[in-house]
Formats: sequence, C-alpha cells, structure tokens
Amino acid sequence: MSVVVIEHLARVEGHGGITVELEGDSVASVRFDVFEGARLLEPLIRGKSYDEVAPTLSRICSICSAAHTLTSLKATENAFDVHVSPQTDLLRELMFRGESIESHALHLFLLAAPDYLDYPSAIAMAADKPAAVLLGLRMKKLGNLIQETIGGRAIHPVNAVPGGFGKPPTVDQLIELRSGLTQGMADSDAAIDMMASLPAADFCHSDTVYAALRSPNLDSYYSGDEVMAVSDGNRAIVHAADYKSLTSEQSIPHSHAKHSSFRGRPFMVGSLARLTVNPRRLTGRLAVAMKRLKFQLPADNPMDNNKAQALELISDVERALEIIEQLLRAGVKDERPVPIHPRAGTGTAITEAPRGLLIHSYTYDAAGCIVSADVITPTALNAASMELHFRRAVEQCADREEAVISKRLQMIARAYDPCISCSVHLLRRA
Amino acid sequence: MKPLLAIGLGNPLMGDEGVGWYVASRLSGDPRLPPDAETLWGSTDLLRHAGQIEGRRRVILIDAVRDGAPPGSVAVFENGAGLDDRQTNAHELSAVQAMRLLQLMMPVPFTLLGVSIASAAAASRLSAALEARMPAILERVLEELGWNCSR
Repeated sequence: MSVVVIEHLARVEGHGGITVELEGDSVASVRFDVFEGARLLEPLIRGKSYDEVAPTLSRICSICSAAHTLTSLKATENAFDVHVSPQTDLLRELMFRGESIESHALHLFLLAAPDYLDYPSAIAMAADKPAAVLLGLRMKKLGNLIQETIGGRAIHPVNAVPGGFGKPPTVDQLIELRSGLTQGMADSDAAIDMMASLPAADFCHSDTVYAALRSPNLDSYYSGDEVMAVSDGNRAIVHAADYKSLTSEQSIPHSHAKHSSFRGRPFMVGSLARLTVNPRRLTGRLAVAMKRLKFQLPADNPMDNNKAQALELISDVERALEIIEQLLRAGVKDERPVPIHPRAGTGTAITEAPRGLLIHSYTYDAAGCIVSADVITPTALNAASMELHFRRAVEQCADREEAVISKRLQMIARAYDPCISCSVHLLRRA
Repeated sequence: MKPLLAIGLGNPLMGDEGVGWYVASRLSGDPRLPPDAETLWGSTDLLRHAGQIEGRRRVILIDAVRDGAPPGSVAVFENGAGLDDRQTNAHELSAVQAMRLLQLMMPVPFTLLGVSIASAAAASRLSAALEARMPAILERVLEELGWNCSR
C-alpha cells in the first residue's frame, strides 16, 4: 500500500491534512481532516448577553468577519422577533457584497492563480505577473473599503449592531464607494480575462449535490430563510429552522469537523452552488463572461468553483452599485437601531458567506443571555463533499505519481476556498 | 497619521495565539507610548490592514511564534527574515507572505516582534504563564517603538 499525505493545508499542526491510501491502482481510502475553529468558540459565548455575541463570533474568521457578524445578528433578531428596516437590509447586503469581493479577489488572484500557473506563492507569481497581483489587491481593497465604510472598521465590524446600524453612511461616503465600484466594473471584467487565460483544470468529475440560500429576489447573500438543494434536476427546500435536516451532521473519526449530508449524500456550498441554485442571475455581462470562461451549468467539476467566483465578482460589483444607487435615490435615513426586547427563545439564521452557507443558531434565556449556540461554517458543510471529490480525482488520475496526485488534490482543496484554521495565526521560524 | 504603527496580530479567542492583539490593546492606553506612534488591534489577516499601513515610516508587527523558546520570549525579525514564508493556509496569506506582498506595493519597513507561545487553544484570555510575562513583553515592544522613534 502507498500513502499520499498532504499536510500543509492549515496553520495548526496536525490538522487540515489529506491522506490517500492506494492499494495498487485502487483507492483504499481518502481522509480529510478539517480543524473546525468555530465549534471550539461556541462554549466561549455561553452566558454572554445578546449584544456581546456578534462581536465575539466575528473573531471566528478574519476573511468572513462581516458574514459571521451579520449572520449572528440575524439569528439573535430572529430569536427576539425583531424586524429591521429596509435600509438596514440593504446596508447589510452591501457589506456581504464587499466581503465577497474582498474574499474572492484574495482567493482567485493570490491563492488559486499561483496553483494554475505553477508558482509556489503569490509572491513568486508577482515577479512575473505583477499586473495580475495588483489587480487582485485593488479589488481586495475595494471590498475592504465597502466593509469599512458600512461596518465602521476594515475588519470585525463594530457599526453593525442588533436591530440595525449604529450610524448610517453619509451621502459623500456612498458617492466615494460608487466611484470605486465604477472602477471595479472594469476590474471584474479583467478578472474574467485572467481566469480565461489560465490553463484548464480538468481532472475531477462527479455528480454533485449543490445547496445555497434561496432568497426572495433570487440574488441575496443575506435575505431569505430557505435553502435549496439541487441535484440531477431535482430540487428540495429546507427552512432555516429545520437546518439540522439539511446537515444531518455525523462525527467522523479522522476529522475534527463533523461531516454533513443531505438525504445521504454530501453536498457542496459556495459560489458554484449559488449559481446552480439561482441560474436566473446569469444574464447580461455574466452571460458574456460565462462564454469566455466556457462555463456551463450544471457543472460536474469542483474546479469550476473558481470560475463561479470570478463570475460573482461581476455580480457583486453590479449589485453593490445597485444598492448604492437605491440608497442615494431614496436618501439615507438617520435611523436608530430597532429596540431589542430580549425573551427566551431560539433563533436561526442562514446566509451566504463568500465560501457558502453559514448557519448560526442560538437559544437565549429570558434575560437575553446565550444558553446554547450552534455555528456551522461553509467549510464544515463542504468537508464530506471535498473528501468525495478528492476520491474521484484520485480514481480518475491515470498517473500514480505522488506529486501529480498531491498537486491535483491541493488544487481541489483550494477551489473550495476552505477556511480550515483561520481563527489562528501562528508564525514559525524557517 | 502618525509615522509609527504597531499592529498586534492574532485572535483573542484563541488564548496565547492572540498575544499580539492583547499587547496592542494594552499599549493603546499606555502613557509610555511615544507620541509619534499608535497601535492597531489587528486580526489574523495582515493584508486587511494595507490601508492603515500605507504611508507609515515604519510598522512594528507583534505576533505569536512557535519556536520552542520559553513562553513570553520576544525575538526580532526584520522584514520577516528568519521566518517560514511558505503558504501553509488554503484561505489567507501568512503574515510573512502578506508583509512581502505589501512591500511590493509600498516601501514600508516592517519589524516583526515574535512572542513565543507554547500552545494555541480556544480561550478568551492569555495563559497564566504568558500573562505573567506581559509587563516584560510590553516593555520590550515599547523599547522597540522608542528606539525606532528616536532613530
């Protein structure tokens, strides 16, 4: 038996690795160990007051701090039956778009592209392709600016509070964002050019179940309380309150994250799932970009998640611009957050973080303190699907060279854009 | 904008891993902080702070390092030299990689102060061992800020 081990997927030693065992040409086993930081943090919020929960859980992830904050607020508001204003809904959606732009730009330009082009890192790629790296950094900066303007900080937003926002943005701030997003339109087209220029990554095909938020207007990362699962033309709806019937989590001996399955099958969340569940979004510039990328739905290649992220850069910039125009037309109201009246109960929220469905569910006591909390991240939801796709990739790889298998599996892992251990950040000596 | 910026990196919910964050938060109200310096309670993603870094004369980063030294030891890494700069995370750039990338865009010198830790686990406070070392760590960081300031 030969064994392929890929360790360097996470910062925490001993976690986040892929192990493949081969018996001759057969795949004996594929194991993917995810370090699930979110679950470790749940006990830290037990007993905390409702207004401390979002700022604490925002720390689960640097890249997704806005998504964790806003999903946490939505779950708390659902528990207390609080309904926020239409303006708050729009500003929260805008924050999600900013985070998605920032996250996708980082992932595509600085993490995924070096894989396709055989560079060991973005630093190495920057020497030969500075324009691509600078384009990525410019789009990341745009996403940061949106989050900082609306959220009050570049990271771990403080302006988003239960019931609304501490302070709405000014007209001048929105006009500045509009100017940046206008440049972002051109940059998102350039992102498609960059993706279209990369070598094909055609080494893993598999029937896949996709799951994403089904929002009332078919194009929201924040609104809505239903998840749609799609596979082979079949569709199923799960309401947020019944999220456990979507996840059916099971502990796995080799993984620190539980594995999720829907009706017995692993499912994939993220950009590719969003486009699959909401295909009516794919019109206009997106339709043109799809042709450039040779991107078709339904997809059976998990590497297409990278193309889907590039497509979302276009739709994120467009949607952010629409929201800003809508706010400017209506006039930004200097409204205060909706008052909160704590009560005993449970609230669940499902949103779309950049890398897929994010679930926060809390039970509060009558004083508004946390009794229990459940946070399920997109990477945890994807863990079983990743393992399935790792297996398919090895089965479909005629070459049994360890380096070839290792490279392909790392590219698939990267395509999922996993957040394996981003709640920690350790340096090591060379 | 003050010419010196000290950024504490780390996650305060992961115990000693968040030591940089704790150092920056305590320094922010410290009267010994030089007048031309300010602190930022950072995150685990240095690249997120590009906007606050641009235009500074010097940036001091404080971060946890696992190097086998006694917890609370402080080592200086000019521009990250001597640190592992491999990509070891699928999701975001390491602090060393982010530093190198930022230096491609802006000519800012970085001094990284690595605080040795023994473990990183979910906890909303520092370990007793590291907490006991905090006065010395703060003094070491202030010394670095003052030295750079006078220079």
